[in-house]
Amino acid sequence: MPRPPIADPGERQRRFEVVYAAHRGPILGYVLRRTGNPDDAADVIAETFLTAWRRLDEIPRDPQTRLWLYGVARRVLANHHRGERRRSALADRLRADLAVGYHPPEFDGEQAQITEAFRGLPAADRELLALSAWEGLDYGQIAVVLGCSRNAVRLRLFRARKRFAAELADAGARSAQSGVHVPHGGFV
Amino acid sequence: MNQISRICPVTDTDAERLVRPGTFADLGARITTAPPADLGARITAAPPADLGARITAAPPADLAPARPGRRPRGHRKPIRTPIGMSLAAVAAVIALVAAALAITRPSAPPKPATAPPPSVESSARPLAAQVLSFTTSGGYITVIVRNPLADPARYRAEFAAHHLNITLKMVPASPSIVGTVVYIEEPASGPDIETITAQGRCYTGGGGSACPVGVRIPVGFRGQAEVVFGRAARPGEQYESTASATAPGEVLHGLRFAGDTVAQVLALLRERHVTVPVFNYAQSGGARNVSHVPGTWYVYDADPWAPGQVLLFVGPTRTPPANQAPQPGTPVASPTS
Repeated sequence: MPRPPIADPGERQRRFEVVYAAHRGPILGYVLRRTGNPDDAADVIAETFLTAWRRLDEIPRDPQTRLWLYGVARRVLANHHRGERRRSALADRLRADLAVGYHPPEFDGEQAQITEAFRGLPAADRELLALSAWEGLDYGQIAVVLGCSRNAVRLRLFRARKRFAAELADAGARSAQSGVHVPHGGFV
Repeated sequence: MNQISRICPVTDTDAERLVRPGTFADLGARITTAPPADLGARITAAPPADLGARITAAPPADLAPARPGRRPRGHRKPIRTPIGMSLAAVAAVIALVAAALAITRPSAPPKPATAPPPSVESSARPLAAQVLSFTTSGGYITVIVRNPLADPARYRAEFAAHHLNITLKMVPASPSIVGTVVYIEEPASGPDIETITAQGRCYTGGGGSACPVGVRIPVGFRGQAEVVFGRAARPGEQYESTASATAPGEVLHGLRFAGDTVAQVLALLRERHVTVPVFNYAQSGGARNVSHVPGTWYVYDADPWAPGQVLLFVGPTRTPPANQAPQPGTPVASPTS
């Protein structure tokens, strides 16, 4: 639940630093798993935590904090992919680190087929499946991130898995005809 | 979902290892220099600017890159205004294009590549009190913001009258992104709000030049959404959204200063009539915003702060500490909050 506004600037800064220190790694992981572009990832991380700073009073307590941040990062990513990108000077150093250090994996064989099938899904399906498989969230937690009901998550995840299985069968059939090699370039 | 786990691109632990320890501290320090106010919270009343529908017919503003060393223009953005609008009016050219609610959507609309075509003002009633005008044309409702400084509740009320649960906010933004979409928040499911982009109108992340200047709301959109636009800041008003300080249209466009001393950079900025109200430097206990630092310190970066003002990221070493946690800075005389 949101709490009363934090009036004291020092307290505000401390509260942000606690949230930031605890969650920056997982939020970076969340974003990098969804975009293969280090520049984009750096900007999204900066924007996500800038939003957290500005909306500090709205951030729920643990264990809901990370889910709230996932939700913010998801919306910032969606904005980013639509073109509302801001090259923020905030993220310059992070951008440089990621450009040097991050190389999205390139898959072949069965993993390439899985990747191809996954990419063939609608974005909403991919996000549901990824929140489950990559972030390890359960129905209730995914519901918090997406802002919908637990039952809706259960139903949509069921359908997404069916569609994924169908895509995977297609990808398998295609790869039987020709070798498949799929570099990971971001799934969103 | 084992199969999808097998294509997980990177784990949280490995992701965190990519970032040097000082980098996260630096980012956190920079973020906390931003004004903590909620987006839009600081909008206050001001004389309304009546923006007719014809304004949307203006071609996307052309941001001609300024030459390095050129005489500065203060915080104004170098935009050509073919119909002689004031800069303030240009700043407020905001078109929201909504699919006509009465018409069944035949198919997905084509992805817009440019600003909306000129629309004819037809059904909009010229009520003096209106802050938005809604014009039906070609299956779409074009929504024009007549008063970019109105109380957000009034936008909400007028959207609601058209069965749209949309919150529109304007936040002070640095010059090159005034009049562009800063943020959209919408439901996780259902049709998406799409952006209308104008190529080259502003420069965005990752070197992109597809500048978002408006949004298109699809038929059937019944969710709650928030659309935030950048507006021109008033003198002294701190920006809530910024582009790079060296982007075309920003006060430091064309300048290179990383690694120069504070004294050198301040001299350079004086020529452009740009002032520096705040310096930020990182130290082990977190970032500090101060109003004065030694002239012998070094400048690492800059960020637009307010009209004619930038924040400088500085430190006592020529390059920012990168391979370890930030070094404690030299004590400074007059810290500010």
